[in-house]
Amino acid sequence: MTSPEDDDDDMPDFSDVKSGASSTAPGAQAYETYEVQKGDSLSKIAKTKLGNGNLWQKIFDANTDILKDPNKIYPGQKLKIPRS
Amino acid sequence: MKKLAAGLLLLVPIAGAACSKKEAPPPPPPITEPATTLPAPASVTGVTLGKAIGADKRVTEPADAFGAKDTIYASVDTAGTGHAKLRAVWTFVRGEKTAKVDETTLELDATGPATNEFHIAKPSGWPKGDYRLDVFLNDGPTPVMTKAFKVG
Repeated sequence: MTSPEDDDDDMPDFSDVKSGASSTAPGAQAYETYEVQKGDSLSKIAKTKLGNGNLWQKIFDANTDILKDPNKIYPGQKLKIPRS
Repeated sequence: MKKLAAGLLLLVPIAGAACSKKEAPPPPPPITEPATTLPAPASVTGVTLGKAIGADKRVTEPADAFGAKDTIYASVDTAGTGHAKLRAVWTFVRGEKTAKVDETTLELDATGPATNEFHIAKPSGWPKGDYRLDVFLNDGPTPVMTKAFKVG
């Protein structure tokens, strides 16, 4: 049994928040960490996180340490989503 | 008697030599390595919230209360050198309940003091209330700096 206080539905929606980061240190890289969900594709993630599915290559390029094929991502993988 | 005298004569130079023997020089001081200071690893030295930043990433308009349409900046100063991972977690706080607003990680290779900025904006407007920024360093489990602020 949950009390109204336990219900997160009354909390505000922050899904449209835009964020970024930068540094005076050369070569700094800003990113959000996203955990791949079942049914995800890079273009789907790019559309959700970057606003344009055609930007999937940016996500792939930021994750070549764990991704070898852009068509093969798996639930539970943690991807870096580049931020400006 | 002559033998005794001759023997004494022989001993005198030896004894003299023994007496005139210079004292052993003091042991040399221990060899000390040249002072080497290991470079200090990166650390967070300060966090400032504000409504605007300059080209140097420093906050130019400090604030701890913001309007609904403001972009909220956090300037994070670091010292030390080496690879560092800064993680900024922005949270909405209502009583005991919290909601994550945003989480952004910044990886850098610091060669000395650096200033880093994180920012968040919400085109539809920030809900009024209390917020918190936690800054983590290098995947540490607890924030190295926390700042609270309000919108409203």
